[in-house]
Amino acid sequence: MTVAPSLAAGVAKRPWLMKLLTPIASWYTNAAGYRQMGLRADDLISEEDETVLKALSRLPARESYDRIYRIRRAQQLSLQQKILPKAEWTKAAEDQPYLSPILEQLAAEASEKTALDTLTILKKN
Amino acid sequence: MICRPALSRGSQLALRRQGAAKVAQRSFAAVASPKASYEPTNIAGVKVASRDDNGPTTRLAIVAKAGTRYEPLPGLTVGLEEYAFKAGLSNTQKRSALRITRESELLGAQLNAYHTREAVVLQANFLREDLPYFAELLAEVIAETRYTTHEFHEEVVGVIHQKQARLDAAAIALDAAHSVAFHTGLGAPLYPTTSTPVSSYLNESSVAAFADAAYTKANIAVIADGASEAGLSKWIEPFFKAVPAQSPSSVTTAASKYYGGEQRVAKTGPNSLVIAFPGAALGANQPETAVLVGLLGGESTIKWSPGFALLSKATAAAPGATAQASNHAYSDAGLLTIQINGQAAAVRKAAEEVVKALQSVVEGGVSQENLVKAVAKAKFDLLSASEVSGTGLVHAGANLIHGGQPLQVVEAIKALEGVTGDKLKAAAKTLLEGKASVAAVGDLHVLPFAEELGLKRSGVNVELASTVTPSAQPPKMTFAWKAAGITYNRYLAVASRVVRRSLKEDKRLIAERRGQQQLRFAKWTNGKQGEIKNLAEANAAAAVESAAAGGTA
Repeated sequence: MTVAPSLAAGVAKRPWLMKLLTPIASWYTNAAGYRQMGLRADDLISEEDETVLKALSRLPARESYDRIYRIRRAQQLSLQQKILPKAEWTKAAEDQPYLSPILEQLAAEASEKTALDTLTILKKN
Repeated sequence: MICRPALSRGSQLALRRQGAAKVAQRSFAAVASPKASYEPTNIAGVKVASRDDNGPTTRLAIVAKAGTRYEPLPGLTVGLEEYAFKAGLSNTQKRSALRITRESELLGAQLNAYHTREAVVLQANFLREDLPYFAELLAEVIAETRYTTHEFHEEVVGVIHQKQARLDAAAIALDAAHSVAFHTGLGAPLYPTTSTPVSSYLNESSVAAFADAAYTKANIAVIADGASEAGLSKWIEPFFKAVPAQSPSSVTTAASKYYGGEQRVAKTGPNSLVIAFPGAALGANQPETAVLVGLLGGESTIKWSPGFALLSKATAAAPGATAQASNHAYSDAGLLTIQINGQAAAVRKAAEEVVKALQSVVEGGVSQENLVKAVAKAKFDLLSASEVSGTGLVHAGANLIHGGQPLQVVEAIKALEGVTGDKLKAAAKTLLEGKASVAAVGDLHVLPFAEELGLKRSGVNVELASTVTPSAQPPKMTFAWKAAGITYNRYLAVASRVVRRSLKEDKRLIAERRGQQQLRFAKWTNGKQGEIKNLAEANAAAAVESAAAGGTA
């Protein structure tokens, strides 16, 4: 999975900036419209990728079922040109990452493998 | 280069020392005073046994009381073994399986995890100066392995299936013999077969719970072969701090009791027969069992000669079979087994010869010459087991975790030398008079029953026809007409005639008329038409002939 460069870590370090940007960020996320379709942010990650497929295979059964349900519901809504009633929108508290932690773990595994595959031994004596 | 912070203190130290430390050379003085036995000590609550011959390599092992005997649910020991660093599986909190493998390769070491009926063994063989690295690694594997779901599904299950596919008749027969000899506990199979229902018991959380119970200071022993005591006491204390002293759920099992009996398992492929008797337990003072095993022997140790061993002489009469005697010693019981493998008929013949050989020992005793040879063989087996192969290490660990003392080699040798012909004869007599455990795996049509061999067994015959291979043929159905040797057409003609004749008079006439036919036929041979016959007449004529001759109708 290719991840765009993110400023999130830098922002999180500075409380004043965090305070300033949080309302803008939440406005932006709501404006993106996926929450009105009952989706979570991690549902938007493209499946056409070996790493994502592997991460999906590692999801717990319940999580996987719920994900498929959300996506099918969103598809149906998209077909009908509708959005969910407001009570069923994804709330900010529900919009937790469930796939990205596994993706990060897989990326760490891959980078460790590359590092170990290409290491150079330096003899000290 | 391995990134620096990723390496822990012990491994950094080991890497720094590599090359700088001089490999300890075996001196002549060391040869003059070899330390054959493991010396037990206790370092920071961990039971440690060590032996140092000042060689350049070290074998360090953690022996945990978590063998199949102690597993609360079937398959957990196997799961524990597969989760350990073997096959690059375990991800400990600090480093991944891949890192463990690569770092060990850089240090030129071998990592191995295996299990016996009583213990799970995590072993590392490495160069002497790398002790800190591997002491830390082993401690980390038992204290900090993460039993993750995805590794269970992606790796562990696959390895277990591969190993199950490799289980042969010999392994299944040995498991079956243990099962009838000890029922539960030691009777649990060493490796579950494909037909053992383990999937409902074996999962990552049950393995993790078992690991919590098994990997505690009270439950493990650290065995070091070729490591200095100073090094051990220096490194074990800091690294094994994370291992809990005790667990709320400890591993327990009932004391072993010998039952005996018979089990037969149908299986395609090679055949195996195990004849087992109560043997010598670990630390039991029964030198005559070891000498008897030496006398029974197995494959000849000398080329081009059957040797003196009774079993190799017995199998010489049955080409195609091999026999091997061994004593499986456990903490509170032992099992002396004679295993015969090969083609079914040869196994049967060899089994008969083996029992005859045992009876000859009981009746005629052994010659002085053979006794000397058997004692020498037993001595060699004992010493080479404790020196060369890993069994000495595992036995020392098994003794320690069960509260015993490691085998004292000098005393054991002295005991072996004290065995006389009479003692041997008495031991063989007790075996044959007691209940035997017999397990036959393979072609049950040929393999003998214990009673046919002249062995005593317990009153109840535990016979199981649990087929291990699902491809067993269903019994072939034969039809009565086929058995009678007539064709199907003739069979139909006979059957319909009988039905018609059994009808009442008026109905019969109608039916017979219906059966009248005006068909005619001719046999063509070599392109020329033969005589034209009426089918009904030909049928009647053929019915008069013997049933076997029919065919033209």
